[in-house]
Amino acid sequence: MQTAPSVEHAGVDTDHIHGHEEHHHEETFLTKYIFSQDHKMISKQFLITGMFWGVVGGLLSVLFRLQLGWPNETFPFLESFLGKWAEGGRISQEFYYALITMHGTILVFFVLTGGLSGTFANLLIPFQIGSRDMASPFVNMLSYWFFLSAGVVMLFSFFIQTGPASGGWTAYPPLNGLRNTGVNLGSGLGFDMWALGMTLFIVSSLLGALNYVSTVLNLRTKGMSMMRLPLSVWALMFTAIVGILSFPALLAGVVLLEFDRLLDTSFYLNNIIINGQLLGYKGGSPILFEHLFWFLGHPEVYIIILPAMGIVSEVLAVHSRKPIFGYKAMIISLMAILILSFIVWAHHMFVTGLNPNLGAIFTLFTLLIAIPSAIKVFNWIGTIWRGKIRLTAAALFAIGFVSMFISGGLTGIILGNSSIDIQLHDTMFVVAHFHIVMGIAAFFGMFAGVYHWFPRLYGRFMNETLGQIHFYITLIGSYCIFFPMHFMTGLPRRYYSYANFDTFNNFNNLAAFMSIVAIVVFLAQLLFLVNFFYSIFKGRKLEGEYANPWDSNTLEWTAPVERLHGNWPGDIPEVHRWAYDYSVNGRPFTPQNVPLKDGEAAH
Amino acid sequence: MIAFLSFAIVVLLFTVLVLTAKASEVATELKDGVRSYTNQSRINGYLLLGFLVLMFAGSAYAFKELMPVMVPKAASVHGEKTDYLFNMTMIIILVVAVLTQTALFYFAYRYNESRVNEAYFYAHNNTLEIVWTIIPTIVLTVLIVMGMYEWFTIFTRDRDKNMLVIEATGKQFNWMLRYSGKDGKFGERIIDTAHVTPTNELGINWNDPKSHDDFMSDKLYLVKGRPTLMKLGAQDVIHSFYLPHFRVKMDCVPGTPTEFYFTPTMTTEEMRKYLSTQPWWQTINPETGQPRWQTFKYELACAELCGKSHFGMEREVIVVTQPEYDEWLNKQTSLYDATIKPTLAKETVAPAAAASDSTKADEKKPTAMLIKK
Repeated sequence: MQTAPSVEHAGVDTDHIHGHEEHHHEETFLTKYIFSQDHKMISKQFLITGMFWGVVGGLLSVLFRLQLGWPNETFPFLESFLGKWAEGGRISQEFYYALITMHGTILVFFVLTGGLSGTFANLLIPFQIGSRDMASPFVNMLSYWFFLSAGVVMLFSFFIQTGPASGGWTAYPPLNGLRNTGVNLGSGLGFDMWALGMTLFIVSSLLGALNYVSTVLNLRTKGMSMMRLPLSVWALMFTAIVGILSFPALLAGVVLLEFDRLLDTSFYLNNIIINGQLLGYKGGSPILFEHLFWFLGHPEVYIIILPAMGIVSEVLAVHSRKPIFGYKAMIISLMAILILSFIVWAHHMFVTGLNPNLGAIFTLFTLLIAIPSAIKVFNWIGTIWRGKIRLTAAALFAIGFVSMFISGGLTGIILGNSSIDIQLHDTMFVVAHFHIVMGIAAFFGMFAGVYHWFPRLYGRFMNETLGQIHFYITLIGSYCIFFPMHFMTGLPRRYYSYANFDTFNNFNNLAAFMSIVAIVVFLAQLLFLVNFFYSIFKGRKLEGEYANPWDSNTLEWTAPVERLHGNWPGDIPEVHRWAYDYSVNGRPFTPQNVPLKDGEAAH
Repeated sequence: MIAFLSFAIVVLLFTVLVLTAKASEVATELKDGVRSYTNQSRINGYLLLGFLVLMFAGSAYAFKELMPVMVPKAASVHGEKTDYLFNMTMIIILVVAVLTQTALFYFAYRYNESRVNEAYFYAHNNTLEIVWTIIPTIVLTVLIVMGMYEWFTIFTRDRDKNMLVIEATGKQFNWMLRYSGKDGKFGERIIDTAHVTPTNELGINWNDPKSHDDFMSDKLYLVKGRPTLMKLGAQDVIHSFYLPHFRVKMDCVPGTPTEFYFTPTMTTEEMRKYLSTQPWWQTINPETGQPRWQTFKYELACAELCGKSHFGMEREVIVVTQPEYDEWLNKQTSLYDATIKPTLAKETVAPAAAASDSTKADEKKPTAMLIKK
């Protein structure tokens, strides 16, 4: 394998003296596009793989929305596609649960963790800190290949006879802990593949995260002190730290779960009785798994939302032509979220019978997270106030992100309060809350980032008109799906049908409405994909050898439009100021590499 | 055919959209020479303002239409308190949401490129930042303290000596509801292979005389005003014992006992009477042809994913007065009398044919299978 070029470049990064001219390595198709060690190419690989998973995850939700919206209808075309999983045109119960399980797994891990962090950490960290590549381009490449293989395993699990995992993305035992007892169809081979896929994914995530942190800490260019980093880099670094500290807990949890499943240990199992047969497991506790799972599971939602926060901070500042309001407060609140994210996990377990004292403590920390979150929202609003906002698709999605984050975040104050959560736990209210605050919001952050940095990735623009159509359909559609869902307070989630309950069976028209909107929103995302791939080849070109299409201060726009391995043809830029000198010193913007003039403050 | 047609329409629509969008981009470029975003900023400014109005109007409409359909008011002592907390928090967050969303979308409109000459360099303001840190902190402190107080009241208050104790055990896909009978004491359960058998899934020790008047019920009977302790467990996988009307939820974990202590405040009849005053509940239910309040019932559900028929673990809950409960209690046949005694009389050992009440309930009401059939 040809590892030489990037290793040399990485060496160049650290001493800041070399030019680029002497490095002309022949790149083959294989090293350029497939086994690439260039952070920009790896970023594209993550993005496009993430898009593939986004379509799969979205499609799964369209399928189960058909069942939820029209529980009494049949859709014969489903049988032709899905065969035994949709006999007579109705999605089977087993497959319904497989759909929701894989929808959660795919969107949480493969799109909003791998796709989001992988894309933007790889693209932005080296560019914005003024580095030629990641600290270890080879490990970076491995990170992508583990991500891809994790995905391949997950994808293949759809095609085995017993179907993919179907015991919920949270994988609780004993439902997922018993392999051959028939408690759940998807808990056979399907779950083993889920566990293998997740293991590979965790390896990918850790390799990536270690790289991101060490790159930010070690490879910043001259003058780029930590307090001059753009917020996007801060957020991506914090995300990586959260991942490094929390993913191992899930790995441990999943490995022990496989021990229970394959070696008949009893880490999570005790006194299991199936059809009057007492099984031999003694002394374990499923609650232990819940603790291990949520020790990752909760930080995971911050792994998803922090990069989006960073992207949005950056996009809002650039397009408002104003510095981000309260830069330091933004960093401190990111740090507060990082720390608090590790001590709130048991709010997912308020009704597992845990000690009431523990419940109280977790209520306290959970609600405290609202404070840094509130600060961030106020600062974003403060950023656009008296700005000169250029309402491009990127800016619109950033504004949409803030709107979603407000709407979804506020209901967290209700859910985080343990005594109220007794009623709301595992109901549609929770589904509404987390889809808005970490699902839709994170997607909005991601879209903002893609529209904003597409010219950096491909040297062309995405089509603005299509982008804006995409924005309005997604914004209105998302609210139409998830806002009314709050009124389904008390309806348990993960129900195949509500017809068995008089209490819950009153929202059928609403469910059908939400399903229709879900299909429209899904189609709007395909429009985004059309725009994306069309623009790669036919989009409006950036003009000139160097271009700064948004008049931005950050270093990624000081590199030439043509994507070079090593980013800058000559010396890497030296930094003299923070990233937010917009509309000051008599200039609309001043890139970070412009030396200070008389009387200018460095920040 | 319809699938194909809709597919064709979507493809067509996409093509038209892409071509129009491309054309509009080219047109803008021709018109303005250099790429300018001022025009579209103006349009988007108005659209965002429009969205703000639409969002508030839509939300108000949703409140008006959907609030009456929600699960009705709490029928338990602690439920009234947590509902109050829910409503109070909801009002606070609605106020915050209206203020922040208005600011966000209004600023996006007001300060868009087309309406502003120059942005105002304004990097921070310590006073402002301290203020908007302290205010949420105070509000949250109040909510935390109130929530914790209620939480400890629910889970650590002293138990009433006269409380009703009921045992609920979840299994795929049913609830086994065991009452302690007239002596008020449950027979011992022993979880080992000698006691747990297909005919005695709960592992009841029949040599314990306290077990002789215990009975199983396919409906959950509760007594108005009488504190109730639910002793919860599960056989195979995690279930969650959920009484939506009573704001009761607690996981049932195999191998780990849990419990929930609460007091119902309204009988089923009283709840119907109350609902008969509510407009939505007065409407006719097309399935029964009766006003909705007439067929109202409390229900027990499972709230933790437990397998393919998770959504079918329904049991009716009936809240009655103490005299009505006593009357019902007197009519029950104990599980021992129904299944063990006859076999003793015939002097045979544990015939496989003797089915427990719980499996009888299965036959009577295959709750989970309603849809599948």
